[in-house]
Amino acid sequence: MKRSLRWALILAVLGGLLTTLAFVGAFTYARVQTFSTTVNVPNAVARKAVKAGFPAGDAATQMAAPPGTVAVHKPWFSQKIFFFHVPIAVASLVVMTIAAIFSLLFLIKRKKSYDTRAKVAMEATLVFIIGTMISGDLWTRASWGVWWEWEPRLTTYAILTLLVIAYFVLRNSVEDEERRATYGAVFALFAWVDVPITFMITRMMPSQHPALTGLETSNLIPFMIGMAGMSMLGFAIYELRFNEEHLRERLAALKEDLEG
Amino acid sequence: MPYEDRVLKRTSGLGGSGDGSTDPPSLGRPVTPARPKISSWRQFKAILRKDIVMELRTKEMITSMGLYALLVLIIYYVALSQAGSNFDVSRISAGLLLLAIVFTSMLGLNRSLVHEQDQGQLDALLLSPIDRPILFFGKAVTNLIFLLIVQVIITPLFYFIFMGNADTAAMGPLWMVALALLLGSIGIASVGTLLATMSVNTKGKDFVLAVIFIPLMFPLLLAVVTALNAVVLGNPDMTSVFWRFTGIAFGYDVITTVIAFALYEFILGV
Repeated sequence: MKRSLRWALILAVLGGLLTTLAFVGAFTYARVQTFSTTVNVPNAVARKAVKAGFPAGDAATQMAAPPGTVAVHKPWFSQKIFFFHVPIAVASLVVMTIAAIFSLLFLIKRKKSYDTRAKVAMEATLVFIIGTMISGDLWTRASWGVWWEWEPRLTTYAILTLLVIAYFVLRNSVEDEERRATYGAVFALFAWVDVPITFMITRMMPSQHPALTGLETSNLIPFMIGMAGMSMLGFAIYELRFNEEHLRERLAALKEDLEG
Repeated sequence: MPYEDRVLKRTSGLGGSGDGSTDPPSLGRPVTPARPKISSWRQFKAILRKDIVMELRTKEMITSMGLYALLVLIIYYVALSQAGSNFDVSRISAGLLLLAIVFTSMLGLNRSLVHEQDQGQLDALLLSPIDRPILFFGKAVTNLIFLLIVQVIITPLFYFIFMGNADTAAMGPLWMVALALLLGSIGIASVGTLLATMSVNTKGKDFVLAVIFIPLMFPLLLAVVTALNAVVLGNPDMTSVFWRFTGIAFGYDVITTVIAFALYEFILGV
């Protein structure tokens, strides 16, 4: 077995484990974020809840709570998607950047393997983009009450999705190998312009979408584990697919040579 | 040679001699070009002239684009026919107008490059001593000209058909509309020329153009519609909104034209 392939398999397993660990950590280790509104819970539950870090409501809300219950701040469980959604979104942007770099390298050097690499990286991008879209939609439904909102971050990311899909539509409709590679590379470079835009837009324009600022340690650790896991998964998907494509292309080239 | 080092054969992308194998044979004397270098401006004019002469003879582009735009307006009429007399079309007129322009321009871009493709004109252009960057600007400017001609026809038509009864007292000056449409057209022409050059070489010509064109156009379309809408509605903050979004459209035009110009060389001759 090739060394890179072995690494890819190891990283695939490790990445899967770390991503799972991050998700478990999000519910066990990370502190529960709460809303400013309070909810009344029975005494026994409240004791555990306050111990786990739920802030109790102020004196006025405690007075209003029925006997035998305590007012604590309402937990914000949908926030937990953060530990999955943000790593996968960041990974999608990183993998697309790699695709753009290989596209540029292809245009300069015209080596076939660069084109294959760019294509495979773009496939990994598509996988991550779909993951981001699904997790993001679940979150907007839970948190904003809508499935979709035409909001700067969501809009630019939706365009990115369309661009990545368009990349494959374009590639699939070109017959000639060299032309396909060149068109794909040119389009990938054009499409990549959206990556810095979608990353920066929540920081530049008023946007409903939260932008990542500081994190406290209990949240930071699961988050970093998730980031590491997702990067490994990204690399593994890319490398495994590349190996597969590479073998396929070699086989095709051999067949062609044999047929003369 | 290991497979991964395979170089895809024609290295036309970088001026023709990327792998050094196409050096001219030494004939004992320096190889001199047969003709003196033609100035860029003359090359540009030649391409422009070719397209305009062709258009004057066939009248195909303007007719098809104009007719198509008219049909889009008629469909708008059908769509809005039951909206009732209280419905204020001017609130959505900017979007409707730009939509007609986008559809028409996709048709026009596709046709303009299909022409080049059909009769082997693009190959002839590549053989001619015309610099490739000039080729891009030549094609982009002809596309822009046709687009502007069509807009000059359909914008007043749109106004008379849909906004005849609308309250236009607050509407901003006409040059603002013209500027927003011009910035929109520049972006459509430059990016569109690059994308249409690619899409005419694919199996699904116009479908592929639509799929790759619309997402890339999105920011420009949004900026132009916002600017146009501000002018049409004439709100108190009209000027500031207008300039902010024409600024965005202008920035988009500059960035995409530079990228399209830089990348155009690669897609020619593959």
